[in-house]
Amino acid sequence: MRNILYLIGEAFTNLRRNILVVAAAVVAVFVSLTLAFGALVFNELVRTTTLQWQAGNHMIIFLNDIGGAAAHDEMLQQVGSFEEVEQVFYVDKNQAFEEYAQMFGRGSPGMLEIIDRNDLPASIRVELSDLSQYQAVQFRLVGDPLVRRISIVSEGIERLLNLTQVLSAIGVGLVLVLGSASVVLIANTIRMAIYARREEISIMKLVGAGNWFIRVPFLLEGAIEGLLGGGLAVGAVLVGHQFLGRLPSDSLIQFQVSGDFLLRWGVLVLLFGGAAGFVGSALGLRRFLKV
Amino acid sequence: MIRMEKVAKVYEGGVVAAREVDMDIRKGEFVFLVGPSGSGKSTLIRLCLREEKVTKGRIWVAGKDITRLPGWKVPYLRRTVGTVFQDFKLLPNKTVAENVAFALKVIGRPRSIVNRQVPQVLELVGLSAKVNRYPRQLSGGEQQRVSIARAFVNRPPILLADEPTGNLDPATSVGIMRLLDRINQTGTTVVMATHDHAIVDAMQKRVVQLNRGLIERDQSGSGYGGRGASAGS
Repeated sequence: MRNILYLIGEAFTNLRRNILVVAAAVVAVFVSLTLAFGALVFNELVRTTTLQWQAGNHMIIFLNDIGGAAAHDEMLQQVGSFEEVEQVFYVDKNQAFEEYAQMFGRGSPGMLEIIDRNDLPASIRVELSDLSQYQAVQFRLVGDPLVRRISIVSEGIERLLNLTQVLSAIGVGLVLVLGSASVVLIANTIRMAIYARREEISIMKLVGAGNWFIRVPFLLEGAIEGLLGGGLAVGAVLVGHQFLGRLPSDSLIQFQVSGDFLLRWGVLVLLFGGAAGFVGSALGLRRFLKV
Repeated sequence: MIRMEKVAKVYEGGVVAAREVDMDIRKGEFVFLVGPSGSGKSTLIRLCLREEKVTKGRIWVAGKDITRLPGWKVPYLRRTVGTVFQDFKLLPNKTVAENVAFALKVIGRPRSIVNRQVPQVLELVGLSAKVNRYPRQLSGGEQQRVSIARAFVNRPPILLADEPTGNLDPATSVGIMRLLDRINQTGTTVVMATHDHAIVDAMQKRVVQLNRGLIERDQSGSGYGGRGASAGS
């Protein structure tokens, strides 16, 4: 216990007395983790934004008049029970006309005159739980005599899906590349810091210090440097996030991620910084501790 | 206290630093290892500290065969042997008192003992007024005194010194030798590698002369060039 307290004290004393080297290590952790955490937030922004893009009516099933309201109701229940379907609602002929009137009536009243209320078909509006499954739903309904036509509302549904995938891939790629770069950078910087103090380590060994006696303060120093850099990185990303929140956002692009996400990943980034510093120290020390 | 039996050391590349060295150093002796550069003086000291491993032969230090010592036990060996080097080897980020205290902390001495022994030994080496200085704020002689204080603070049975006066002027060297002599008089075995003729001549102790890894002469009460009784006699 006495020794543990001494070794913790040693770690803090060394941090204070090697301030330049410590600052270099903290900055390295800070920069790399800011980039990695930033990439994570970017990835989340892409995810929530594209999710929002995907919300709404994805399919419209236009219905024939055969069978009357009862047949339409039965079809509504049937479509609503598909596992790919999030929700459905029914639009009858009157509502369809109102919609038409809203869309086209204001600018050109002539458009209303050429259409009769009965001309427009009733329809079932479908929101899918997974956008990419629209063909499965389509497949089940094609050929049904009640179904007049199926329209995929988001005309660029495939393009949207592709764009979402590309953006997600970029986000995940950034997180992976920057995350691994940060591990290498942190480990290397701390190894360099230990290399600069190799003479000190050899002296400790000559005086009879055991490997753990030498190792513990260095490991603590590495972990503290990592935590400091990680803390600064989390702070920087939070400030950046606040700043983004002030930008005029519209329904198309999200600039805010949930507080839950920031808290969860902030804590993880902090711990990751500490762990990277710890492991970097352990790796850096290995070659100097051989008797 | 130290026994060498047919010790040989060949470094990588084939450089022979010691060949068939037999030596027996008794408790409380003061022994000079002398000889030209490359004769193997420092190698013998490094072998006794297990900084290097023997190529052949065996070495006993304080009764233990250190040639067969597992790596994890080497720190325990070093705690029984005080060491002093030409370049002082002080921890640059620690004060004088902290450097000396480090040797006690390593062996887990409680703070009360550290607080008592460190000032005592610093007084012995004449550095009581400079306990809070850093090594860079001291002269070469003062740094060597700190190094001796650190080596002696555990009261080790053996003190090894590798050219401890090599970086010092003659007057300062005399002070360091007086210190080592006093430590020897407390019963500590002192082995010192040097090629300082004046010091060896003045001290008239046992001299082991090495040349190309071989013992050329081993004489008690001798000067650098020899005049005295053989160690065996």
